[in-house]
Amino acid sequence: SRKVKSLRLRANFWESIRSGFVKNNNSTQLVEPPSIVDDEEETEPLLPVEFTLVERTLQDGLIEEIIFSSGGEIDVYDLQGLCDKVGWPRRPLVKLAAALKNSYMVATLHSVMKSSSDSVSDSSEGDNGQKQKEKKLIGMARATSDHAFNATIWDVLVDPEYQGQGLGKALVEKLVRALLQRDIGNISLFADSQVVDFYQNLGFEADPEGIKGMFWYPK
Amino acid sequence: MLLGGTISTPPASLRIRSTLNPQNAVTQSSQAAFPAAMQRQPPSYSISDEDLKSRGFLLRRTAEGLNLDQLNSVFVAVGFPRRDTAKIEVALEHTDALLWVEYEKTRRPVAFARATGDGVFNAIIWDVVVDPSFQSCGLGKAVIERLIEDLQAKGICNIALYSEPRVLGFYRPLGFVSDPDGIKGMVFIRKQRNKK
Repeated sequence: SRKVKSLRLRANFWESIRSGFVKNNNSTQLVEPPSIVDDEEETEPLLPVEFTLVERTLQDGLIEEIIFSSGGEIDVYDLQGLCDKVGWPRRPLVKLAAALKNSYMVATLHSVMKSSSDSVSDSSEGDNGQKQKEKKLIGMARATSDHAFNATIWDVLVDPEYQGQGLGKALVEKLVRALLQRDIGNISLFADSQVVDFYQNLGFEADPEGIKGMFWYPK
Repeated sequence: MLLGGTISTPPASLRIRSTLNPQNAVTQSSQAAFPAAMQRQPPSYSISDEDLKSRGFLLRRTAEGLNLDQLNSVFVAVGFPRRDTAKIEVALEHTDALLWVEYEKTRRPVAFARATGDGVFNAIIWDVVVDPSFQSCGLGKAVIERLIEDLQAKGICNIALYSEPRVLGFYRPLGFVSDPDGIKGMVFIRKQRNKK
């Protein structure tokens, strides 16, 4: 059963990321265990960069596709609009663009609307350009990383109109899986008190072994 | 404006505020002999660069000259697992800021800290270590104070870290607050395979 956690392995895992110093009289040397991957992760195929999460038929024959991508293609104006929608304070566009560029991974959710007649005409060879598909950014999450040991997730947001449908969960879950598949052993984040449960349900633990998140002179 | 292509010049109203340390303007007489290579006056640290130098400790801000095997030994000495030096090298290449203290006599690293992030908003400090033989004499404090200053000089306002319970008392006097407004540090716990 995958439920059993080896405590010793967990301790070693945590040793690898703590940022403190300890007077250690113990002469035993810890060796970082090889990347221990869950059964499921090992046999699962690599996540494609972009794939459809949900496809549903709306009224008026419109079909909506929710597409997940970890490719990081994102219009910074769209992102600012999304941040406005969720009520986040404005940040300078140039800095927003830089933050995205400096992120190890940027995951997005886009909604694509098409009429059902599109799918009929799509079957014809090379005949694809008839209608501009309306593609809307509805979610984003990004992770910074040192590309080797640690990744930290920031800025998880979902358009309020699309909340409550499990999309935020899917966004974070897929981002985490993509990071794990790149062999990043430690994935962390800082959660506002009201979303701690949300992340707990996704496999995150608060204050593991009493380790506390600290901020320098927070506002 | 799509990312990945060239980013057009933003309108003037979006110009970033200067990230220069306002203390640049202050000249301190004790800093008169400051090396020309430095572009700004440092703020007052608990222990000055000069004090450290007089005790045989040199401050380094790049990985140049840092022996990764020796760094690994310091990690091991404080109880971290020994890590693949190739991986450490990759990590350091993708680190926003780092600081280490070289002990002049041995030329070995005796203190170290680094920070990763997005370069504009957030930074997380990792791998803060002081060689056990050199602990309790201000090196950890010296490293953190300067790392924070360096991050601030880049305009990064959100500086965080994960602290073991027994060193919370080290970080608090340096200005760190745990769980501000109830914000919790969380870590993804990978499911471990049940050993057969």
